[in-house]
Amino acid sequence: MELSVVAFWILSTIAVVSAIGVVFFKNIVYSVLSLISALIAISGLFFNLGAELVGALQILIYAVAIVVFYVLVISTVPQYKGEAVDPKYALLSAPFGFILFLELAYVSVYGLWASNTGIFSPDIFQQISNAKAVATLLFTKYLFPFEVASLILLVAMIGAILLGKKDIVEDEEGGA
Amino acid sequence: MEIISTVVVLVVKSLIFILGMFLAAAYLTLIERKFAGHVQQRPGPLHVGFHGLLQPIADALKVLTKEDLVPNNVDKVLFYLASLMAFVPAIMILAVIPFGDPIKIFGFEIKPYITDINVGLILALAFGSISIYGVIFAGWASNSKYPMIGGLRKAAVLIGYEVALGFAMVGPIMMAGSFSLREIVQAQEGFFGAFIWYQPLAFIVILFAILAETGRTPFDVQEAEAELVSGYNTEYSGMKFGLFPLAEWYIGTFVLSAIAVILFFGGWKGPHIFGAFSPFIWFFLKVFMMFMFFLWVHWTLPRYRVDQITEIAWKVMLPLSLLNIFITAIIIMVKG
Repeated sequence: MELSVVAFWILSTIAVVSAIGVVFFKNIVYSVLSLISALIAISGLFFNLGAELVGALQILIYAVAIVVFYVLVISTVPQYKGEAVDPKYALLSAPFGFILFLELAYVSVYGLWASNTGIFSPDIFQQISNAKAVATLLFTKYLFPFEVASLILLVAMIGAILLGKKDIVEDEEGGA
Repeated sequence: MEIISTVVVLVVKSLIFILGMFLAAAYLTLIERKFAGHVQQRPGPLHVGFHGLLQPIADALKVLTKEDLVPNNVDKVLFYLASLMAFVPAIMILAVIPFGDPIKIFGFEIKPYITDINVGLILALAFGSISIYGVIFAGWASNSKYPMIGGLRKAAVLIGYEVALGFAMVGPIMMAGSFSLREIVQAQEGFFGAFIWYQPLAFIVILFAILAETGRTPFDVQEAEAELVSGYNTEYSGMKFGLFPLAEWYIGTFVLSAIAVILFFGGWKGPHIFGAFSPFIWFFLKVFMMFMFFLWVHWTLPRYRVDQITEIAWKVMLPLSLLNIFITAIIIMVKG
């Protein structure tokens, strides 16, 4: 067997097992820990595919920058609240879960027979670096979605600042 | 066959790097204690060996054979895991740091780095930031208020300075045109080719960020002894306790100093006055200078307040690093 095949099976096993752990751990800190593990294993899969830039950014942005805020919130929640299970949410989540399953199934079945149709064939990939390939696509083909995404993030940021802003409390003499 | 040889070479190399780092870290503790002693007008370790030269070995034996106390109400799994989670990522950064160009000894080509990956710098940043979880989970698993406060403080500091650090690194990356640490070194030719002359702003931001990331004094709110006993590692004892300062203060500082040297001081480049080993000697000399600079700052300055630290991160360092990217981009555009 080739090394990449071995790596694929090990990493995907870790990813799947930790993803199951995210769902089934009763302790929410454990489930966020398995989320981190799943994200890191997925970044390993990216490395295995030769997409080093995406893999490194996956660790930096998803496994750390985003999940760290989950951890911050979760670690300040009292433990008994984290362990409470409300069956009505389980019932509510079933149809959404089914829709999500259908979508994932469609994407994976569709992707199984799709071939590489992009402009970057493996030969070109060898010559230019990973970062250049991503940047080229980002600033040509996907420029508009990219800019729209940054606008949405800006709106979200302003919203967060408004939510987090302290109200100015006026004291009785009328001063600020 | 090829798989086996690749794996064997990598394992041997990694072992050398890890053991070397352990030994170096042990003696960095001695250097720090001696330095701190002399800064405070006392001799530092003096009695074990000549001027305390064997002190790190005595310390290691003491820490390893100490009774390992685990408090009753801690989350056992996470409590054990957290000290490893702080330590392992710090040592994993070594995988992407090159210590020199490949050299030939007796016909074998020896590469003094584990991997020369294209995105080495981002990966180093990523590994460095994973160690944040060790601190947060140590605080949470200890089930005690001082560690919790310490862990959350450290998280707030790290989030702020990780962003500034990442953006400040973009300046040298833009000048070198590559994320690969080796190519960044190769882009710096000669004494005046070192990026420190072109990127002073980025260097200042990175100095602050390294001090904050490694929890050295102006930024050591996470263990502020006067307020928090010892912060997130209050409940730890024995070697589990030893791993935290080892990871943060020594391995973390050493590795980040090495990255700063690669980014700004031309890595292992220097006049060939030490013969065949001069690249290594130059590299370690430069890293040592950086390390001593951090020690100097650590043992002379008082501590910032928590709110001041986050304020510096978001209101000063982040805008400065963005400004640096802007200026660098304009200069590169104008010069072509």
